[in-house]
Amino acid sequence: MPFQSAFSQLFTQDVIIAWAVFGLVLFGIAGAMVYSRYRRKKGQGPSQAVDANRTEIGYAAALVCIVVFLVYSSFTANAKDYPDPPKPAAQVTVTGFQWCWRFHYQGTSFTATGQCQGLRSLPVLVVPVGEPVRLSLTSTDVIHAVWMPQWKFKLYAYPGEVNTATLTIPRAGKWMNRCAQLCGLYHYEMDFWLQAVPPAAFRSYLRTGRL
Amino acid sequence: MTAPVKAAAYPSPADEDRDGLAQWLLSTDHKRIGLLTIGTSLVMFLFNGALALTMRSQLAQPEMHVLSPQQYLQFVTMHGTGMIALTITPLAIGLGVYLVPLQVGAPRIAAPRSTLLGYWLYALGALLLIGGFVTPTGGADSSWWGYTPLSNSIYSPGYGQSLWTGGVFLVACGAILQGATTLWTALRMRAPHVTMLRVPVFTWTSIVTSLMVLAGFPALLLAMGEIAAERIDPHAFAGNGWNVLYENLFWFYGHPVVYVMFFPFVGCVAEALATFTGRRYFAYRGTVLALLVFAAGSMSVWGHHMFATGQQVNDYFSLTSIMLAVPAGVEYFGFLGTLWGGRLRYTTSMLFALAFIPQFLIGGLTGILIANPALDYQLNNSYFIVAHFHYTLFAGSVTGFFAGFYLWFPKATGYLLSERLGKLHWLLMVTGANATFIPFFFLGYDGMPRWVATYPASSGFGTPSLIASIGAGIIGLSFCVLIWNVYGSVRAKAPAGDNPWQAHTLEWATSSPPPRFNFDLTHPVPRVHSYAPLFDLRQQARQRKQETERGQRTGRREPPGKDEA
Repeated sequence: MPFQSAFSQLFTQDVIIAWAVFGLVLFGIAGAMVYSRYRRKKGQGPSQAVDANRTEIGYAAALVCIVVFLVYSSFTANAKDYPDPPKPAAQVTVTGFQWCWRFHYQGTSFTATGQCQGLRSLPVLVVPVGEPVRLSLTSTDVIHAVWMPQWKFKLYAYPGEVNTATLTIPRAGKWMNRCAQLCGLYHYEMDFWLQAVPPAAFRSYLRTGRL
Repeated sequence: MTAPVKAAAYPSPADEDRDGLAQWLLSTDHKRIGLLTIGTSLVMFLFNGALALTMRSQLAQPEMHVLSPQQYLQFVTMHGTGMIALTITPLAIGLGVYLVPLQVGAPRIAAPRSTLLGYWLYALGALLLIGGFVTPTGGADSSWWGYTPLSNSIYSPGYGQSLWTGGVFLVACGAILQGATTLWTALRMRAPHVTMLRVPVFTWTSIVTSLMVLAGFPALLLAMGEIAAERIDPHAFAGNGWNVLYENLFWFYGHPVVYVMFFPFVGCVAEALATFTGRRYFAYRGTVLALLVFAAGSMSVWGHHMFATGQQVNDYFSLTSIMLAVPAGVEYFGFLGTLWGGRLRYTTSMLFALAFIPQFLIGGLTGILIANPALDYQLNNSYFIVAHFHYTLFAGSVTGFFAGFYLWFPKATGYLLSERLGKLHWLLMVTGANATFIPFFFLGYDGMPRWVATYPASSGFGTPSLIASIGAGIIGLSFCVLIWNVYGSVRAKAPAGDNPWQAHTLEWATSSPPPRFNFDLTHPVPRVHSYAPLFDLRQQARQRKQETERGQRTGRREPPGKDEA
């Protein structure tokens, strides 16, 4: 699953860098406080230095190097998320509406939907395990967004526009997903399930509408 | 010796010296306009803070219904718009209106009537926005973004949304006027010898803020125009391109405004650090350059709000956004460089400045995380984002504001605040802010979307949400302490004197509060040799004293004219 692997790798890397920077700054503040006490004890006044241009230029150059590295990681991770799409095993049109979801499996006459009022009535998006599935996101009214927190994936669903992404869910299971763009009164109820089942079970689901 | 001449030296329109409400609302004195703007923003802060506390009480536990879903959306929309457009932006600009003329040694602000009009537009806009609550259908409820088509007349038919659109338009016009006159003052009305590289750091932050207001806010006017058109005829713009256009227009304003709501508070922190370390602000030129680069860069990062829309050039905006780490890092060089080697005085203002540095850093570092599209696909529109921008805006900007508030309150009123209550305020606010906003990071990472009125018990969001709500209560308490402090101090009237903190910049050369035209014969503008003119004067006095003492010891006088070199 590209979105999840790219996220995990990059998040770990950038969070480590962030902690390092945060630690250095905290250390700098604490150090300055201790140094101030030390100077006071020795009867020294505040330092008269007004700048340290060479140090500052060197520091800025170091920042540029870090930024180049961060931008490079950002680009490579993003390229993994939206590669040239593999041939999908299934194509699903995901339609958001106020306030629920509809899943139409392209090439079949099968459409699944639900009520979005409490856990039992949520619609279920069924996909085959380990096979690429292309989602085409759209909306019939306002802007919605599909968010699959477990799989680190989010994409907006616009009225009159189709956004596509290809997901490959690596293992069987059932996960809660949410609408991530404010879409009106019952935005907070617009949840749906993502369920990954073995490919054979998926094909029979398309025929019978049942798992 | 010159005291009796004071009144006669500068013409002072008698009717402006009185203290009635009308005199305040009609005053062309930038100090009164500045205080009106700041005061109104603080009232808005308390109002929108109360909304936040109500929402936190609803979110403390799953499936709570203190508010109906409709009320919740109205509250969250008002809280967002109110804090950004009615509180922190006017606070940032109002500080500039008050301080910039003083800091550059000008007797008045440029175009004072336009500045005053700016305040009126802001106040009127605020009334319209809040007025939504008394309409039959309640306030606007499509969030502070007001994305179309949700905000058009089909999906948001109430008057509240129309009032919101008009209110935001007026407030933006007001900000543009006040930003422009502040900029004009800084550029064209500086006292003799106050060159651009001798204006204090705060004034520089105000200059770049005004530049961003002028460059970014007109896009908001266009965006409000688009909503207005869609509220008159929801079919005026067919096709999704218009929705995406709205998003681009809105964020073309919506990102620079983030730095508008940040830089003046960096200025507050910088002035507090310089004052309470007893030294000139370190790496001034580097900081000025960083501010200008930052302001220029801020105009081309707006697309990072749209990474998950599938309608934006993600890599480009990831590049420009991450690049801002360089000027931001250079600013931090100035903070730490000033601290390092200073003799620290832990006043309330200094404590807020010290808390600002790591707290804003959390906002900045998480900002770099979400500048990666691959991370934003998860974190966008989640509580992680809510945590991020509350760290920048509250734990950062508002904390920085209080560094300035405790620093300049004696200047503006002539009275000292209680340091003990100030430190209590600091302790509660820092504790509350971190207790509230740290849990948000975990909630967002685990999948809690923003703008939800409630969440199911099965989600597991209950415990972090409860901690956050308790933290919000502590923040509320900290503001009770602040109000108590201000009330008590204004009654106690402990005189501040001209320069209670031994600060460095020109506003401290005049009386507290400053006279109508800022400087007079008893308080003239001193000759300015650097961006810390009063520091220079004290240093010269000290040198002269040392030389005299040395001269007395050796029984020899220094050769005359050595000072001049």
